[in-house]
Amino acid sequence: MKRQLVLRLCLTVLLWSVAAAAQSPFAPEVKGPLSQRVVAYQIDAKYDPPTHTVTATETLTYHNLTGQALDTFPFHLYLNAFQPKSTWIHEAHRDGNFRTSSLATWKPEDYGANDVTSFEVVGMGDLTKQMKFVSPDDSNPDDKTVFQVKLPRPVAPGQDVVFKIKFKATFPEVIARTGYKRTFLLAGQWFPKVGVWWHGQWNCHQFHAMTEFFADFGTFDVKVTLPKDYVIGATGVQVSEQDNGNGTKTVGFHAEDVHDFAWTADPNFKVINDTFDGSVGQVRIRLLSYASHERQWQPYITCVKDSMKRFDEWYGPYPYAQITVVDPPHGAGEAGGMEYPTFITGDSGWYIPKGVHLIDLVTEHEFGHQYWYGMVATNEFENAWMDEGINSYTEVKVIDSFYGANASILNWMGAQLGEREYQRFAYLSDPDIDPLYRHSYQDMSMGDYGSISYGKTATMLISLEKIVGEQTMRNAMHTYFMRYRFTHPTQEDFMKTVNEVAGQDLSWYWNQALFGTQVLDYEVLRADSNPVNWFDPNLKEKKGETEYETQVILHRKGDFIFPVEAVVKFDNGDTTYERWDGKDRWVRYVYRKKAQVDSVQIDPDYQVTLDSDYLNNSRTTESHHGAVHKIAVYWMFLTQFLAQMLSWLA
Amino acid sequence: MADDQKGVVAGGFSLLWRRQGVLWWVFAVNLLCGALGAGPAAIRTAHALSHSLAGQKLSDGFDLGMFIELLRLPNVDLWRYSTTSYVFAFLFFLFMILVTGGILESYRQDRRLNTGDFFAASGAFFWRFVRLMLLSIIPFAIVGMIYQALSKAADHIGDRAIADQVGIFLGWGAMLIFLLLALWVRLWFDIAEVRAVARNERGMWRNLWKAWRITWHDSRHLFRIYFCISLVAWVTLVVGLVIWAHLPPTSLPLSFVLLELIVFAQLMTRLWQLASATTWYQRHAEVVLVETVIYTTPHPVEIDETTPPPASDLPPAGPGPELPPAGA
Repeated sequence: MKRQLVLRLCLTVLLWSVAAAAQSPFAPEVKGPLSQRVVAYQIDAKYDPPTHTVTATETLTYHNLTGQALDTFPFHLYLNAFQPKSTWIHEAHRDGNFRTSSLATWKPEDYGANDVTSFEVVGMGDLTKQMKFVSPDDSNPDDKTVFQVKLPRPVAPGQDVVFKIKFKATFPEVIARTGYKRTFLLAGQWFPKVGVWWHGQWNCHQFHAMTEFFADFGTFDVKVTLPKDYVIGATGVQVSEQDNGNGTKTVGFHAEDVHDFAWTADPNFKVINDTFDGSVGQVRIRLLSYASHERQWQPYITCVKDSMKRFDEWYGPYPYAQITVVDPPHGAGEAGGMEYPTFITGDSGWYIPKGVHLIDLVTEHEFGHQYWYGMVATNEFENAWMDEGINSYTEVKVIDSFYGANASILNWMGAQLGEREYQRFAYLSDPDIDPLYRHSYQDMSMGDYGSISYGKTATMLISLEKIVGEQTMRNAMHTYFMRYRFTHPTQEDFMKTVNEVAGQDLSWYWNQALFGTQVLDYEVLRADSNPVNWFDPNLKEKKGETEYETQVILHRKGDFIFPVEAVVKFDNGDTTYERWDGKDRWVRYVYRKKAQVDSVQIDPDYQVTLDSDYLNNSRTTESHHGAVHKIAVYWMFLTQFLAQMLSWLA
Repeated sequence: MADDQKGVVAGGFSLLWRRQGVLWWVFAVNLLCGALGAGPAAIRTAHALSHSLAGQKLSDGFDLGMFIELLRLPNVDLWRYSTTSYVFAFLFFLFMILVTGGILESYRQDRRLNTGDFFAASGAFFWRFVRLMLLSIIPFAIVGMIYQALSKAADHIGDRAIADQVGIFLGWGAMLIFLLLALWVRLWFDIAEVRAVARNERGMWRNLWKAWRITWHDSRHLFRIYFCISLVAWVTLVVGLVIWAHLPPTSLPLSFVLLELIVFAQLMTRLWQLASATTWYQRHAEVVLVETVIYTTPHPVEIDETTPPPASDLPPAGPGPELPPAGA
């Protein structure tokens, strides 16, 4: 009997362990906690598809780890951004549009809201009437994306406070990473979220059109009740599913050491499962897509696995048990290309030509955010370059490793485009408007924000490789990730890490690239050879015998100072490498040899992507017409084709 | 009917072949317009790239990044030169309006006109064809509006469907309908042009109305002819571009020849349509009086167009009378 009891007990423990392992939010070899858990959210939500609303009860336990008593708490209500007088709409309308959405006119389906119907603090009573909307960034009285509550008594350091919040979330037709499209729903930024105590004060910005989010790490236990036929995916791992017997089901999710929670649902989702064997164990890949996108399923899975492999090898392990990848339906482009912890959305379609690497571009970028945002949780309101930009840099490195640097975005119909060029052009569209250091939500416009946050950062870090070396840069990124994962690092933390790993003070570089708006442009101003005995009336020039004096002048056209490498080639095959510190406005190199200069080229490998003009980086003494002829032939064809099309009307 | 249709298509091609000089001239002018349209951009590119190694990225492949660099840099700014291309494309359009009269007269007579005769015929019909072209804006605009409506409906339905394909296929369907309707309008106006030349018609409204009746009456037959020839144009375009995309990036001469062949095929199919329309008109639509001489017979004899005589009763298609010398 006793033996039987022990056996039964062992079996129970084993089953419980297996179940617990299956539901663990971490990869097998990872044990939590990984972060300083400030918040613990428990949310019971009910989704009503016809009205695109969620009614929910949220219990938030806040651990006061600030070291001081707190009596005021600010909360984000992001969905209130989708109202005509909000700061978000004002900014998006001011700049013409938001991503793919035109906001020239207001439509009823653009409306979204977070209505808090009850706000209670355990032990302090109902404080609903104490809620007060604040606009710390622009004093807009009509913006309702942040509210704060003053408690009757402060929460002492080290103590917990429990908030019980009842709210209703109304989703807009999909925009800015959240909302519905037909039966599809992407529920992002859908619940009241507390601000972050950072550097001795609350950091709780209003929702801005340009920038994204910032939140504390913690745990999430979320239950969503929705129609039984819906397929749901979310941050973390699914831990329960219950049939409610009334045509609905309740699905439970659990996540640890994350700072946000998003979910998606659609009865038309198809689920594709796969796994990735990482350095800390197996990770489940769960792709939610559509039958009409079937031919894209494999590219998605391949891209996620390859990206995970590169990140694991280069930067550090992915510690979670699962990554959920959402392929939004057609018409829901605004839901695409977004990141939430352990949950990303991609972008695809029924048909994408082979050689157009759209899926890789978006999926890799969003996966990269699991590192640069998800784990290294920087302040996206203020330092967007630290998530979008650093992520764009690693995107270049990873995608280049898939397809090669010259064709990593496009290799189609005889044309190629590399990712680094794409980022460079993004940067050069607005190179001297805003410094990276400026708070991102204060950038001049959305176009400028994109140009600087994404393009300039990637371009600046690629160029930095020229100074410190590619491997050193990779080591620096690895160190930065391992050191600052599950924290909220600052710009100074990043610079300090790179300086340290590179073993040099790079302030001169940060001052220009990060704090300044200087533009880099070096050119070959002159390259010519003249006979040394030019004055000799009997001089007959003969190759290999006549001595020439060659002059090469390099010129710093821009105001960005950067060390320059130049290759000087002579017509006898000699090659000379020059290195100039680039500080003066120009430098002259003089050579005397029995050969004439053939070509001079600055940065022959096109590594200094900050350079704003590639055409003037080289000079040849002989003219080369290959490219000119090609452009002439293509241009001519297009003109002829247009002409014959037009003549069809004659 | 199918044999008859094949006969007209083949007859049209045969006529095109016999009068191939016209095609070569049209192609030569198109080539010239292309060269002049591309000239300023090529000169600008040469200025920027001839002494720069950056051009290697374009000559060894086609690095879109380097091409964007040429468009982007203010000191090069290739976009600016697209205006020249538009101007020369428009000039070619005007040229085609001008010479269509000569082309159709050459086809009608099925003989090589000397330069003077050719341009005399061209000049004689120029303003009439300008009027026709202006009138064609109305049906083309209507077709455009139909396309807009269909496209909007396709978007509306597609937006509500789960699968992307619904919207995409409906959109393609709308585009196909647009192309077919536009082709029908082109056919109608081509018949009007052929008829205007054959009958030296001066009243374009009346001519258009009669051409409508002719085209409508034998719509299926005529449309098949035009559709078959258009299909050749579309297929050669697609096949040509696919081959071009697979050419080695450094084989520029081959690329040039292929791209020119594509343009040539487009122009050829267009003239093939005109030749076929002429052939069909001469065989089926009306008895064309041989004394129709453009400059000397202002009032050709009207005949009933609604009941064309059987083909066997028609006079044999052959060369018409000699045109008087230019300026006569």
